[in-house]
Amino acid sequence: MATINLKDKSIRIKLVYYGPGRSGKTTNLEYIYNKIQENDEKQKGKMVSIDTNGDRTMFFDFFPIDLGKINGFALKLQLYTTPGQVKYEFTRRLVLKGVDGIVFVADSMASRQEANAQSFENLKENLAFHNKTLSDIKVVFQWNKRDIDENLIPLASVEEMEKTLNSKYGYTSFPASAETGLNVFKTVNYIAKETVKHVIALNDIKKG
Amino acid sequence: MSLIINKESADKVEKILERFVEESGATYVLLTDMGGGMLFESGADVVSYNGDALAVLSAANYAATNEIAKLIDEESFSLLFHRGNNENIHFTKVSPDVLMIVLFKPFLSLGLLRLKIGKIQDEIASLLGK
Repeated sequence: MATINLKDKSIRIKLVYYGPGRSGKTTNLEYIYNKIQENDEKQKGKMVSIDTNGDRTMFFDFFPIDLGKINGFALKLQLYTTPGQVKYEFTRRLVLKGVDGIVFVADSMASRQEANAQSFENLKENLAFHNKTLSDIKVVFQWNKRDIDENLIPLASVEEMEKTLNSKYGYTSFPASAETGLNVFKTVNYIAKETVKHVIALNDIKKG
Repeated sequence: MSLIINKESADKVEKILERFVEESGATYVLLTDMGGGMLFESGADVVSYNGDALAVLSAANYAATNEIAKLIDEESFSLLFHRGNNENIHFTKVSPDVLMIVLFKPFLSLGLLRLKIGKIQDEIASLLGK
């Protein structure tokens, strides 16, 4: 749920990285967080992680970003990941509360294609729990791990992934590597921009 | 659906929170939506707390505790409170969408604090519920 404060002229939106276990959601967030810390000392938001000893996300990772102004409103993004492991269904569902935009991080490894599809179905079910559907929010696909050497680990092609996950929806998608940073910022920039446009249009916010 | 806070309501809520901190002796008070988006904060130590992280973790804690309640066939727990050595923390659901977090010193009476929270709870809910 976006929050619009007309007194301090700010808009806060919630973006969630969703996808199967080990698809690279936390790696995406860590990459963004580290780059922002390197380049902008004014951003002082801390990254919060609730994970297990095995470094798997148990509840979520989170950090806020100030994105400057749009239509005279200060824009604040809240980035979250969800736990990918099947057993963390309850916490995954809780993180989706109030979500405005989703980055679906799909694993490009051929062996993980079924897990991608299951996770996407699970996303729809969990949105329904909050009385939402995909059409209420903005969604972008990220085909992650494109940096993997195909001679070592078989990958699904981008076309195959588009066909399996995205043929029905036609969402914008980015081949990416959260490990090397390829298209990580492109993905987040795109979803931020689209979600803000959506929230502004939805609430009829005029320039001020 | 977005939560839109107009200037008049924001002014009123800020005043209520300031007065609450002054009268109750609480260290710090924070309002967040249930998704973890911080709405307002007030108190002497505003600068020293990371309000964003506190809001996010409190909303998550509240949501997780509610799930625990359901697992044991309780609708919800009426008292959500952690006792620390230097600071206690108390959580109140003021409306379906808004959670209030109060930090207060261990020498303050929890009962009295809860009374004061009860007094402002409805007022805040009606200001932010519109």
